[in-house]
Amino acid sequence: MTDRVIGFEHVSVHFARHTALRDVSVRLDQRRIAVIGSNGSGKSTFARTLNGLIVASEGGIRVHGIDPAREPKQVRQRVGFIFSNPDTQIIMPTVAEDVAFSLRRRGLPRQEIRDRVAAALDDFGLTAEADSPVHELSSGQKQLLALCAVLIGEPGLVVADEPTAYLDAANSRRIAGFLLDRMPQQLVLVTHDLRLAARCDVALRFEGGRLADHGEPGPVIARYEKDQDQP
Amino acid sequence: MISLYRPGDSLLHRMPAGPKLVVVAGLATAISLLPANPLLLAAVLVAVAGCYLQAGTGIAEAGRQLWRLRWVLLVVSLSQVFFLPVLTVAANVIRVGAVVLLANLITLTTRTDRLIDALERALRPLRRVGVNSDRVALMLSMTITTIPVIAGFAARIREAQRARGVTVSPFAAVVPLLVMALKHADDLADALVARGAD
Repeated sequence: MTDRVIGFEHVSVHFARHTALRDVSVRLDQRRIAVIGSNGSGKSTFARTLNGLIVASEGGIRVHGIDPAREPKQVRQRVGFIFSNPDTQIIMPTVAEDVAFSLRRRGLPRQEIRDRVAAALDDFGLTAEADSPVHELSSGQKQLLALCAVLIGEPGLVVADEPTAYLDAANSRRIAGFLLDRMPQQLVLVTHDLRLAARCDVALRFEGGRLADHGEPGPVIARYEKDQDQP
Repeated sequence: MISLYRPGDSLLHRMPAGPKLVVVAGLATAISLLPANPLLLAAVLVAVAGCYLQAGTGIAEAGRQLWRLRWVLLVVSLSQVFFLPVLTVAANVIRVGAVVLLANLITLTTRTDRLIDALERALRPLRRVGVNSDRVALMLSMTITTIPVIAGFAARIREAQRARGVTVSPFAAVVPLLVMALKHADDLADALVARGAD
């Protein structure tokens, strides 16, 4: 499927004091893509280049045929981003309003927005909380809301940067279930949870800003764990 | 005073946000200009209580809001009690309390998106002088969302101070609170960009 290809050609990202990505080249068309690696290895930088939050210093990126650096608005309609801390991604004061915020630039009639928001909240089990202030939700509900607000925009690709980091086991399972099993969209899942990475179709491992390994999740994770165990 | 919308079907709930804002602004002006007459002031309090009853939130809600306002009302009364007659001070306290209660009634009976839409429409004529009403409306929404988050940061700092056996000091909390607030602002800016609001 050419419409869901992510391509990186010799991509590097330099910041003022360090290089976060070094000469990364990869082509991905799988549905579920896991990104693993130590803290500071370049995982989040890789994820953020996908929707233009970080622009590559060198090399070329194509996400579903779009260049994030040149077409930032188009790429943000195509790529939904879920942050690890839902508090930093919820913008509007109540649950329904925050979901509706994702549709504000679509030029849809007010009634259609209301109907789509109601359907999306129902799908995520948040109907009872529709008019609740967002700060009254639990962490799990907040992350569900963040996911709901991303998916209502019908992105072709969802990038989730450690989406279960702030959640307990039950909520982690719930969010992972949505992302890995229920959602039809392509997924890039940045995670430290190797069990989630193992459920993906392909795994990328970053170390020191380089793409150190990629392929079938099982062997990639086994090599990563072996390297982690070495003193 | 971030007491947000309480769903309901009262007349106040059904009233459009724009006219409601205009009516409340008019009432607030009238209350502020009211003479310090005990009967008139009592009538104002009864009317405000009646509005809370009509909205279906009950008198207890008005009481809760007044309790949250207690320090403001105390400062208002203490700053005047030595210079003005007691009746004037009481009138001023009642005026402030009644106006804040009325304003609070707007947020209790109006969905925030409708309120923000009304403000956006009201600000639209100012586009000619360079005011971007969309951005002002978005900023107001984000302010309402962010206040509880910042309050949460303050609570976390207090807990951290207690956990380390440090005397809880508002002054020692200022710098970490500023750092956390700035980090949050940075993250929120990323979220705005990621959600296509740039």
